[in-house]
Amino acid sequence: MYFRIPGKRILLYLILIPLLGMFSCENGEDIEPLAPTPYVFEEIQHFPTQLNIPEQNLTTVEGVELGRYLFYDGRLSGRDHPDSLMSCGTCHIQSQGFEVSIDHPKFTNGHPFGLPTPEYPEGKKTPHMTMPLYNLVYNSSGYLWNGFIHESNTRKGIEGYEFMGHNELNYKYLESLVWMGIVAEHEMAGSIEKTVDMIASIDMYRPMFKAAFGTEEINIDRISKAITQFVRTLVANNFKFYKYVRREADLSPSEMRGYELFFSEEADCFHCHSGSLLMTTNDYYNNAKDTTFEDSRDRFAVTNNLMHTGAYRSPSLINCEINGPYMHDGRFKTLEEVIDFYSEGLVYSDYVDPLMKNVRENGVQLSDEEKADLKAFLLTLTDNELLTNPAYGPPMDLGEYLAQ
Amino acid sequence: MTLKIKFKHMKRILGILILIVTIFIGCDTAEENIGYGNLVLNFEHKVDNDPASYDLMIYKNSAGNNYEISEVQWIISDLILIGKDNTEWPVGGEDWIHYIDSDLASTLRWEISELIKAGEYTDIRFTFGIKGEKNAPGMFTDPPESNMIWPYHMGGEEGGYHYMKLNGFWLKEESDRTPFNFHMGVGQIYDNENNITGFVQNWFETTLPLPGFIVKNENISELKIVMNIENWFINPHIYDHEVYGGKIMNNQEAMGKISENGSDVFTIEFYDE
Repeated sequence: MYFRIPGKRILLYLILIPLLGMFSCENGEDIEPLAPTPYVFEEIQHFPTQLNIPEQNLTTVEGVELGRYLFYDGRLSGRDHPDSLMSCGTCHIQSQGFEVSIDHPKFTNGHPFGLPTPEYPEGKKTPHMTMPLYNLVYNSSGYLWNGFIHESNTRKGIEGYEFMGHNELNYKYLESLVWMGIVAEHEMAGSIEKTVDMIASIDMYRPMFKAAFGTEEINIDRISKAITQFVRTLVANNFKFYKYVRREADLSPSEMRGYELFFSEEADCFHCHSGSLLMTTNDYYNNAKDTTFEDSRDRFAVTNNLMHTGAYRSPSLINCEINGPYMHDGRFKTLEEVIDFYSEGLVYSDYVDPLMKNVRENGVQLSDEEKADLKAFLLTLTDNELLTNPAYGPPMDLGEYLAQ
Repeated sequence: MTLKIKFKHMKRILGILILIVTIFIGCDTAEENIGYGNLVLNFEHKVDNDPASYDLMIYKNSAGNNYEISEVQWIISDLILIGKDNTEWPVGGEDWIHYIDSDLASTLRWEISELIKAGEYTDIRFTFGIKGEKNAPGMFTDPPESNMIWPYHMGGEEGGYHYMKLNGFWLKEESDRTPFNFHMGVGQIYDNENNITGFVQNWFETTLPLPGFIVKNENISELKIVMNIENWFINPHIYDHEVYGGKIMNNQEAMGKISENGSDVFTIEFYDE
């Protein structure tokens, strides 16, 4: 009776014929794979409209989801022993604003170190502190504290990162930071081959790679692309000051005084930490911390311009409440220490940025009340949604392999 | 009767046709006479007639301050070419705003995509900075322009962005190399309790002669706008870093003088083929 209804019979054929066709193929590879779904970046008021997404790695929903798993999968290190698990999520912890945090149980004072090696049985410390991983899609000024990773970069090496026979690799894009993290002694201290083999040995990943890239092939290029796609979706704009600008929230009197100080010649934070509401220009400054300079990874190392000696990127202040320690070397543990430094701790050198115009007075000389107001304003930059949004969080089904 | 009407119609149709053809021929001739060309604007920063050298303490201003320049970032807008018959041709459209940065080579040459009416132009006029009604907070969201932000409480609804950031160092009391931020934007009026009670627009217009400058049909013409940095410190006011210090964004007295000094800061260069 059921099949006598012509319309339904046609419907049945429509379902059955493609199914029969699928089974008649020798394997799934003969079928045209479904195209991944483009990921749509929401346009955010007061945020840049230019997105730094290389055309060879357009963001897709499937790529982002695969990237989220890889970001948090401790086997990204190429090893599956509980003591050798490490992934991006080990040091970029969501609840800590995608940084380590000052009170990390393992990384004392928030200073991470790599997996143990024969040369560094306790793990080699990272040369710099971690940087925030959010809003990177809006940054076209280079990545890392010194901006070495930039589309214009043609150099083929930097201390601690070697190509290891992979001439196809480069130091140009956010994607580069994935392979760099895998091989760096102060991070996963592994090899690209081991990581690729390890990920390829995990059953759940093949269909995920197929969904994201069309085939099940797993290689370092795809691993890097997927993780980077996920990282590009990490956006922080849900903080009180942002809402204030949109006239959706009010600031307290103290926060308002701090806001006016922040955006003034008196405290003068805004010239380096403003522009759009990213709370950074993403530019590089010598902010008068030192009189001598020995770090081989400052901005000068990238540009060879003497005036960039001791200069580093101005980091976003979004979530500065929780993502200490502060500065490239983590020398300040608290926001109070940072404010004290800019108030009365500046030291002159020939390389100081001219925006540090109070350097001859050792700082902007804030009163205790002004310092408290400034801190109150800085606390309005905390985005709690970023810290708890499950779309940015670890996939709990990774279980024991979840990076810790 | 019918034939007569048709003939009448034919006469009218013929008349209209002749009129249309005449208009078209006339238009063609006019187009050929007008024509359009392209314009490229170049920007250069000079000190004492030479291209500016950066990060070198080699200059002395009219107040006797030894100084060096680190970078110059500024905004030009409302650029207009003025024809022989006083007709005005807005370059790049009515809302044209361009950012110039001594560290960004791409900003020092602006190939304007909009066509310019061919012909002879006698003057060029532009705004240093942005006129108040156009200087809306938040209108730039992308760098580098967005980094020119001027604090809202210091500029209000008509003071969204710096006109200029000229950063460098001077030898304070002839000994200490000290930073200066020679920043221009909307000034403030303060009451006795240091509350802001009003704003002052410090942008200004400059008109420069263009003797013999011709935009030729289907040709590319080039102009160079030169900022002569030493002139910010001379005429009519001698500007002394020792007096105003390193920061002036909240000092209308200083910015007002700079605005008035701007009258002879810019010159124009072009090459007649």
